[in-house]
Amino acid sequence: MNETMIEMVDVSKTYPNQISALSDISLEISSGEFAFIAGPSGSGKSTLLRILSCAERPTGGEIVVCGMHLTAPGFRKLYQLRRTMGIVSQDFKLLRDRTVNQNVAFALEVTGHTRKESKLKASDMLSRVGLEEREEDPILALSAGEQQRVAIARALVHSPPLILADEPTGNLDAKMTLDIMGILTDLHQKGTTIVFATQFTGLVKRYSYRVIRILNGQILNERQADITQVPGVKPGE
Amino acid sequence: MFFLQYVIRRTFQNMMGNLFPNFITISIIVISMLIFSTFTLIAFNLTNLLKIWEDKIEIIAYLKQGTSSREVEPLLNKTRLLEGVEVVRYVSPYDAMDFMATKLGRQKSLLEGIQPALLPPSFEIQLKKEYRNSTKIKEVVTLLERIPQFEEIQYGQEWVETFSVLVHILRLTQWILGGLLLIGIVFITSNTLQFTISSRREEIEVMHWVGASPGFIRVPVYAEGLLQGLFGGGLAILFLFLLHRGFFLYVPPSMQAWMEKIPVLFLPPETIAWIILGGMVLGFFGSFVASMRVLKYK
Repeated sequence: MNETMIEMVDVSKTYPNQISALSDISLEISSGEFAFIAGPSGSGKSTLLRILSCAERPTGGEIVVCGMHLTAPGFRKLYQLRRTMGIVSQDFKLLRDRTVNQNVAFALEVTGHTRKESKLKASDMLSRVGLEEREEDPILALSAGEQQRVAIARALVHSPPLILADEPTGNLDAKMTLDIMGILTDLHQKGTTIVFATQFTGLVKRYSYRVIRILNGQILNERQADITQVPGVKPGE
Repeated sequence: MFFLQYVIRRTFQNMMGNLFPNFITISIIVISMLIFSTFTLIAFNLTNLLKIWEDKIEIIAYLKQGTSSREVEPLLNKTRLLEGVEVVRYVSPYDAMDFMATKLGRQKSLLEGIQPALLPPSFEIQLKKEYRNSTKIKEVVTLLERIPQFEEIQYGQEWVETFSVLVHILRLTQWILGGLLLIGIVFITSNTLQFTISSRREEIEVMHWVGASPGFIRVPVYAEGLLQGLFGGGLAILFLFLLHRGFFLYVPPSMQAWMEKIPVLFLPPETIAWIILGGMVLGFFGSFVASMRVLKYK
């Protein structure tokens, strides 16, 4: 059995206005696993991912990600945690005054890579998401779907062992969704752990990966990955 | 090396991207540091003047009328042995008359008809260097007052003490005013840098997301504060130097002869270095405050 990548024990999140976003969530995701976090809008998927990336602090429970105890008192190695993960958020968080390549290369530059190396790696990653011809375009010249692909490229460019993707295909058409899923499947097969939050049940059904369904901040049920199938698309889909 | 290149590039980009706030901040630092430096310059020159006067300070001990010439030599020897005394010179009534005639110049005719014997003989006593200040001089005067042959002791104490108090007040004002200005500089620098940081909010957020280290995010902000302080302090010194030069250009001719005797110096290099360094430290402190307020890792 693979070692644990993510461990959450009785994790809760209650906002100051007493709205409970998560309640007693306990789950374990192994290294190299692909897990969908599925649920309707407002069910707590994004909060769960934000807590895993330390963008929000839980109000209760314990969390270990990549061997780091995020809830331990005095945990300060936030930037080290972030380097182990690629984050794709609903709002793309792209820099509007830069080109497509600069946006992707930025993730490498600020973690100590040279500009030349960053530019080359960014080019490579952009060609993988089908944006090789838009590299030098300003980010604002891109459609929402293309911007989403840039955000994905930026999350993947430093080859993180863990990807946290919050509705990464929400703005993409069917073909592009499949392309992105293809990239993620490819990464998963190479050993990357992927946590993919989505509200689209059709997408979840299409793949044989593990599914953790949440509703009103609680785990409703789970579907384990169909290990009899080749990882990825279910037969006949 | 890469980090250094990044910091230089980033700092330059930040400053150029926020030219107006940086211009305002540097201008305010220049004005504040110029006020502080001007006070420093005035205090420096007055202290210098005080030192010149203290170096020239001497005690004049007037002998009692009727002191015989036989008594002078033993009294001279006795005075020379006193603690703090360096040189003692006897000034006879005739020497005093000659001195006054020299001082009066073309008006020496005023002295006609005055008998030298009317002028009291005196000792001009020069003190050792370490005794040329108001505290130590009093110790020597006390010793001299115990010698019965002396009628009166004069040493310009009040004048030196008043001037010394004036210099002291000026120094105090300099530091109080300086302190207030320095707090102002920290406040202004930190606020401008918060504005600069806010304009880069999106970029900083992405940096947090992709795992840039806190140092990588903060060091350019610190460097910006340091540069603001460096430019502010440096320009303040430059303007002060120009003002100092300008002062000499516009000195009225009536004051020029007086100015030759009392030098109006510019600040010494070490004081200039301290002022510029002070500006940099304040700029850094301002940037530190700003980063503490708005650069929390999220």
